[in-house]
Amino acid sequence: MASLAVLTGAAVLSLKVGGRPLSWAQLHDGLLGLSGTSSDIVVRHVRLPRTLAGLLAGCCLGLAGAIAQGLTRNPLAGPGTLGVNAGAAGAIIAGISLFGVGSLSGYVWFGLVGGALAAVAVYAVGGAGRDGATPVKLAMAGAAVSALILSATSAVVLLDRELFVRYRFWVIGSLARADLATVAQAVPFAVAGVVLAVVLVRRLDAVALGEDTGRSLGARPGATRVTGLVAVVALAGTATAVAGPVAFVGLVAPHAVRALAATAHRWVLPLSALLAAGLVLLADVAGRVVIAPEEVQIGVMAAIVGGPVFLHLVRVRRVAAL
Amino acid sequence: MPVRSGSRRAWRVALLSVCALTLVACGGPPQPATSEPAAGGAGVTETNCGIPVTVPGPPERIYALYQPAIETVHALGLTDRLVGTAFLDARVLDGYAEAQSRVPYLPELPTREALLAANPDFVVAGYNGVFAAGGTEAISTRAELAGLGVRTWISGPLCPSGDGRSDEAIDPASVSMETVYGDLRGLGRVLGVPDRAEQLVTDLRTGVEAVRERVAGKPSPRVAILLDDDDGSYRVASGIDFGSRVLEMAGATNAFGDLAGRRHVAVGKEEVIARNPDVILTSTCCDASYTVADGAADVARIRGDPALSGSTAVREGKVFPFLFADRAAGIRAPAAAERVASLVHPR
Repeated sequence: MASLAVLTGAAVLSLKVGGRPLSWAQLHDGLLGLSGTSSDIVVRHVRLPRTLAGLLAGCCLGLAGAIAQGLTRNPLAGPGTLGVNAGAAGAIIAGISLFGVGSLSGYVWFGLVGGALAAVAVYAVGGAGRDGATPVKLAMAGAAVSALILSATSAVVLLDRELFVRYRFWVIGSLARADLATVAQAVPFAVAGVVLAVVLVRRLDAVALGEDTGRSLGARPGATRVTGLVAVVALAGTATAVAGPVAFVGLVAPHAVRALAATAHRWVLPLSALLAAGLVLLADVAGRVVIAPEEVQIGVMAAIVGGPVFLHLVRVRRVAAL
Repeated sequence: MPVRSGSRRAWRVALLSVCALTLVACGGPPQPATSEPAAGGAGVTETNCGIPVTVPGPPERIYALYQPAIETVHALGLTDRLVGTAFLDARVLDGYAEAQSRVPYLPELPTREALLAANPDFVVAGYNGVFAAGGTEAISTRAELAGLGVRTWISGPLCPSGDGRSDEAIDPASVSMETVYGDLRGLGRVLGVPDRAEQLVTDLRTGVEAVRERVAGKPSPRVAILLDDDDGSYRVASGIDFGSRVLEMAGATNAFGDLAGRRHVAVGKEEVIARNPDVILTSTCCDASYTVADGAADVARIRGDPALSGSTAVREGKVFPFLFADRAAGIRAPAAAERVASLVHPR
């Protein structure tokens, strides 16, 4: 309930607060009327797309983070742990420098493919050896593959000044670029990710009991991990496509849910999605007002807002075991 | 769109020993200060951005960084003394195309090593970032270069309040055409060509006056100079950017002129909608081949932004290509003002 309240509040704030204040009447007209006044345009072409993009990206980040944490049984995991972020960043840099991709809609596809390839690599490396892709080995493989891809990416980016500037805008994470077309384009991937998440709910609970117990309960750890990876790639890829690789939200939201509310995945997954979406929207709203008329990107605000909250959780509560 | 920030980090202190080998005249006794425009430029001291610059004689090996500095050296007739040029924002002015083709040119800023390898005795920069203590464009502070016997100069209207500082420390009152004139005169004396500099100032005054007369008494439209960034946000040229002065000379005002503190301010789309500028200019930048025609893509992106679809400038088709180079403080100002005037006050 609290998550839902936070999210609703955040969504309303996201529509109401911005560079210039809007009255409730203007907001109502902007959403439902078609008069074409400047306040309507602000609502329709700036605030509504931003809010929807934030909702979508936030839900995806929360779900992806929760699944990644469940999959690796690591409370500090996120999409980044499985190499997805690094892969997406690397592929986008390759797209810009080798193929001259210039638009955000072009970045989307490179990001998804790169994230998927990195996840496959992580699974292949982590799956080597007798006992297969155990959670610990997956996390280790993710860290190794990420480090490899990121160092290569840095090498390329640091040698090319223009590339660096463009990469910088992409990598920081922002909703300013949001438009309804990109959001609509991303919805199918998000839906696919959500469907997989629903499939995963029970299996993740089994994984949480440990490999052997899970197996004895009829869970198939291998299938779960593959499904989970696909879900994380789809969800994190969608969020990245819409808002860039927003750091921290995917880590904090599920962690907070586990610490404050519930540990069963049928609660953790939906609550993480709601909370993460609320966080993303709040970060975006805060970014619009702190140094208005300038804006602070959401990636920066999420870290500033989320960091202390996370430290607080870690200090007061025991780290929720998985 | 990238404008003067990037990944190219200057080489740091490790190169000092190399510098010592490549340079002469380190740590000689200070020259007696004199601001007399001595013929031949012997022993001249001029103050630039609060720092005394003393040359023992007219510098013979000049390195020019950024468009305004490069064009100014050509305009002073010193093309043959250029040992290096770097980082043009656009094609040089027509009169200097042939001259520029004769001098070494780097599209990126040189590293400190590359700069010193050209063995310059004078470095003139059209932007303060290269002499900042840190940041993506920093090459070396002016004090460090002076210690190596290399004299330095920054285009006046971009003077930071102290060596090693950058945009954040520009005195807004100094961003004026008068500063450009004073700067040119000082530079002319240091380089041993005071008469040529005086003539240049006279020509610039004449050019600016011609534009001012043409637009005198006309209503002053509100113009925004927009840089569209890859993340979908916009940056605007603020009141301390020389672009504001160019607009004023052309009989227009900067719709974001009240913003100060930095030359470029990242504003949200809502702010652009709310201020509803009458005219939008792009800030097309950063290739030695660019002409105003290369701004077409920037214009198309701004026109295609649904958030700006209701703005006066877009509805009335008043989004025009404009070059970043034409916002710079320097000898392009009259031509730049004329271009703006032709857009906002068509004949």
